[in-house]
Order: sequence, then C-alpha cells, then structure tokens
Amino acid sequence: MNCKICSKLLQEYLENSISEELISELNTHLKECRRCRIFFRTYSLTVTLSQRIETPCCVSSEKIKELTSLLHERLFPK
Amino acid sequence: MSKQSEKLSDAALVTEIKHGDAEAMEEIVRRFSNKVYNLAFHLTRDASAAEEIMQEVFLTVLSKIHTLTNEAYFATWLYRVTTNASYGFLRKEKKFTEQTLIDDTNSEHSAVYDWSTLPDDVLLSEESSEVLRTAIDTLPDTMRTVVIMKDVEGLKNEDIAQTLGLTVPAVKSRLHRGRLVLREILSDYFRKYSDPSGDNV
Repeated sequence: MNCKICSKLLQEYLENSISEELISELNTHLKECRRCRIFFRTYSLTVTLSQRIETPCCVSSEKIKELTSLLHERLFPK
Repeated sequence: MSKQSEKLSDAALVTEIKHGDAEAMEEIVRRFSNKVYNLAFHLTRDASAAEEIMQEVFLTVLSKIHTLTNEAYFATWLYRVTTNASYGFLRKEKKFTEQTLIDDTNSEHSAVYDWSTLPDDVLLSEESSEVLRTAIDTLPDTMRTVVIMKDVEGLKNEDIAQTLGLTVPAVKSRLHRGRLVLREILSDYFRKYSDPSGDNV
C-alpha cells in the first residue's frame, strides 16, 4: 500500500466499510509511515470534533405548541 | 399525546396524517422539530431564522403530505425542504457561497503537524470549537451541508444523497474534501501549540 491509497481508504475505514484484509494492510502502512499516521489521526480527530459541535438548543415547548396549533388551524380546520 | 402514536414508525405516522389524524401530525412535529431546527440553525447560523424555517418547513411539508407517494421518504423530503429554505434565507442575506472555489488539492500532501496529541482542554476548548464552526461556515454550501448533515447531525450517506439529489459517491467526495479543508484550518490553528523543537513531517 502507498500513501495515496492509504489516504483514499481513510474515509471508508471511518465508515467501517473496508475489508479486514485492507484494514490490516492499512495498519501496516500506518505503522511504517509517520506522515500518513499523523494525517490519519488528525483527519479522524477533525471528524470527532465536528461530531462534538454542540447543537444550539432544543426547540422550546412553547414554540412546539405554537407550531402545532398553527398546523391544526391550517390543516385540520374545525 | 397518545402512546399509540409514539410507537408508530415515521412512515406509519405519515399514513395516519394523510387520513386526517391530527395526533399523528403532533407526533411527527415532536419527533422532527429539533432535527429540522438544528439543521436550519447549522446552515444559517441564525437562531430566529432557524425557528422561522422550522415553522415554514412543517407548514409546507404537512400541507403537501398527500403528494408524498412513498411514506418511507418523509424524513429525506423534510430535510430537503429544510435545506432549500435555509439556502433561500442565505440567498436573501447574500451569504450563499456555492460558487466559491476551494483549493483543497494539496491538503493531503501539505506538511502535517500532529495536533492529535494535544490535551483535551486545548482540543475541546470553546475557542477551538469556534474556529471549527467558523471553518465550516467558509465551506461552499453543498460541501458545508454535507459536512453538517453527516458529521454534525449524524445522518447516513444514503439519506444525505437523497435529500440533496446527489449520488452517494458525490456525497462522500464532498464530505472528504470538506473534512480536508477543516483539517487544514484546524492544523493552522493548533500549530501555535506546537513544540518549537519541530513536530512537522
């Protein structure tokens, strides 16, 4: 495996969509290539940090009530 | 809220709404309102716009619910309408950046600094989160939308593809390029913590 293939496989690896055999080849390459190893770690961590971005907040129950009563009015008129 | 509605699948709720079941409509709103709001907020970065968009999206989608032929596609339809409404807001605000070109061609080959070993209080600081949020904002809209849907909101590639009218490989490609850009920006930011003895490759 070379650095280019390693870089291309990274995304599939994070999705758990590559074979055990390829994972083994990838790990062998990562052990030998410091550059790819750092790239792999920082790319994975970029994904992790994005996943940790806080969601703004929950929609307030008042807002949900307001919305559902508007929907009732428009879609289910008495 | 009826326990009955809470147990139904999304598709079954949609069928019930089509039959005029107001409780099913309430359950759909309860189930998806935060998801719609969060997606709209991350795309627009504007809390009041996100609330307006959420309202508009539910009004649009539920008033046209009879046109949905396959109930299983309700969620992706909802996300598509949310995305379009958010783009509409950004266009009005002149913040739509679809044409922005990002040169990410060299990012896989540029010097790499190993910031993964930095302590958590640096990696997870409010400042670094803000750097990342701002970096996401600078991505062209489709790329940004894919990154937000996948990495921030945790949607599946297949659902993102369907929502945005892209193929799965196109979603993956935008996601990868977006992540590369973000990684570069984070690398630049975290470099200030690098060991002066040199950790670059």
